Amino acid sequence: MRATVKQGMAVFSPQGFLDGNGTSAFLSIEDIDATLKLKVDMVLVSLKKVVFFNRNGLDVFVKLFAKMRLQNHTTVGFCDYDTKKFNAINNFYKNDLNFSLFNTQETAALFTSSFKNQNKNVLLYSEDKSQRSAMAIELHDNGHNPIIAQSKEEFNLKCSNTSTYDCVIKNTFLGQMGQKVATRVTGNAIIYTVFSFLDAEIGNQFNIAYHNNSLNVGFRLFIFDAYKVVSMNVHALNFFSKLASSGAEYNATICFVGMTFDKTPIIFKDNMEDAGIMFYDQMDDILQNKELLEELGASSASNVKNKRIINKVIVSELQNFIHATTATIEMMTNSKAVKDSAEVHEIQIADRRGKIASSIGFYGDMDGMVILVFPQDIAKKACELLIGENTDDMELILDTLAELVNIVGGKVKTLLSDRHISVDITLPRTYASVDSLLEITAGRKGVQVDLSFDNDKFLFFLTR
Amino acid sequence: MITEDKINFYIDKIPPTPKALRDTLLLLNAGELIKASHVAAEDLALKAYLKNIVNKPIYGFKNEVSDISQIFGILGVSASQQTVYNYMMTLLSPKKWVLFKLNVHTFHDLQAKLSLNWKKILTHLQIEEREIESAITLLPASIIVAEALFNEKIDDVKLLRSVHDLDLNTILSRLCGVDLFDICEQISIKWEMPPKVAEIVQSSSGLKPSKDDSINTLAKWMHLLLFYELSQPIYVEAGLNNFIDFQIDFVSDIYDDFETLMEIQ
Repeated sequence: MRATVKQGMAVFSPQGFLDGNGTSAFLSIEDIDATLKLKVDMVLVSLKKVVFFNRNGLDVFVKLFAKMRLQNHTTVGFCDYDTKKFNAINNFYKNDLNFSLFNTQETAALFTSSFKNQNKNVLLYSEDKSQRSAMAIELHDNGHNPIIAQSKEEFNLKCSNTSTYDCVIKNTFLGQMGQKVATRVTGNAIIYTVFSFLDAEIGNQFNIAYHNNSLNVGFRLFIFDAYKVVSMNVHALNFFSKLASSGAEYNATICFVGMTFDKTPIIFKDNMEDAGIMFYDQMDDILQNKELLEELGASSASNVKNKRIINKVIVSELQNFIHATTATIEMMTNSKAVKDSAEVHEIQIADRRGKIASSIGFYGDMDGMVILVFPQDIAKKACELLIGENTDDMELILDTLAELVNIVGGKVKTLLSDRHISVDITLPRTYASVDSLLEITAGRKGVQVDLSFDNDKFLFFLTR
Repeated sequence: MITEDKINFYIDKIPPTPKALRDTLLLLNAGELIKASHVAAEDLALKAYLKNIVNKPIYGFKNEVSDISQIFGILGVSASQQTVYNYMMTLLSPKKWVLFKLNVHTFHDLQAKLSLNWKKILTHLQIEEREIESAITLLPASIIVAEALFNEKIDDVKLLRSVHDLDLNTILSRLCGVDLFDICEQISIKWEMPPKVAEIVQSSSGLKPSKDDSINTLAKWMHLLLFYELSQPIYVEAGLNNFIDFQIDFVSDIYDDFETLMEIQ
């Protein structure tokens, strides 16, 4: 069974009956390995469409959860269940609950570091006091505003006023959470959360490929949220110094927020400042200061020192990129694509009005970025299959467009792998207007292919 | 990916009921088991199918049963009719399965298990109506249709489903406005199956409830039975578990009865 992957969360969705006999067939070691390669923050099994399960049935998943945690420090658990199922799981594993339980996928998303919609007002309740606190801390760390109900009565009372809260959390249990360096994106800044004692392990916990790729796709401001860091040793110091040096060629800025040096030699701070790392007391000192943000590079993503040019290796695979794109959009729209023209130059968009865009980066044996520019109508049409209805909700369209470009990226990856070229793809980005896209692509040459789908114009741009 | 033209092409390709089968069914309808067995014996493929099915362990016969009149005698009129309908469905099934990891034997097993458990359910519901008994035969047709329509685009389907939790039935209905169960209905019409068969199967999708409450109840049992069988390891491994969307709310009011009847622990 393949997992659906969204917002750093991989979800397996078995249906029907989970007993000891059948469960092992739902999830194999190969499925797990393939999912872990996607570097997700969480791996969950949805019980939404499970009508029956017993302890033997869940045990198969629980054993795989333990293996995953050991291998990848990923958060693992079950989601999408009702109170009856929640009580049953608690009953089965009352003294041995070392995985997480999230009443819905939306709740789980609040606890992933990749969740992009911060500042949610979240009402939460758990009978277990320590769980209430643990959840509140995690939510706060992820940029939300947790409101804790101290009793069931208070929770029920507050629940009746649904409009006050964006999300309500109940029947949820936090097992061991992920130990990776959490990542979230705010505007054009990327925020990494580090905690506890920082040592040589930071090299394993930090996703350097993601960081490098963020540099490639235009991010310039990287903030380390270090409020919960107790101290760091020389290995961590070296790691951050190197990170700052390697980012310098992209004109990137690295900041630390909330870091105290009570238990860390103050000389480390001097060394890090020498490497170009900046220190701030509060996150809002940066995020609420537009001038500073601009100065640090968060408002402009185009400030690339070494603009890289498209090379022969990429151009030789152009057909694969175009094929992946047209085949995906043909699949989603049930219409035929016609190639109008293909030229090498900076991206040229004749009429910017009513157009939205998305991009996805790839790295590995070759690296670069695919950009797709859609008139809104085609974007809507292309997303209809995924959404299931015609919608004008721009946020939903952009989210779905990200999924669509993810499918394109996946197809590119498969086609290239058939030619023994191994690449990984980044998270997709979407642009509500062409102007924000042009900030990224300014000065970059690439191959522009104009395509038509049932006479609707559509633009494909491949660059580095 | 899948176009209306492709669906029409597929429906056009469905062969009409072979004469021997039609005659066998007519005679079974009239309760003429002996005459029906003589006609059925003329169709060597049907004869082989019946022998194969009845001698499966699930039927529990100690000695091999090979004579068609003996087989019809053992099965009785309704079950014989169902088995002949099951055979008709296999005429549509592919020689080599691509999308689902099935083969002739596992597919026949699925048909047999569904038929036997359906009979158990109807006995529990105290329903004795041939048309309703044979309704279960059309359900596996949705699997055959999905295999036929989607196997050429298997990689696209997998990629699409890896980013969005869509089942094949939803993909088809969003792309073409018809779903797998609509196509099953077309098959039943082409094969002159009783209209009630199609109606029950359509409602059993859990998405198109019938106006008739009694049909809806049967549809719920059928939906749950399908997912009960598709949760068996062999069919999970075949990729059948999530080819259509399980409507858990649709079956919630009969689940406890189902659990008791099927002795689920």
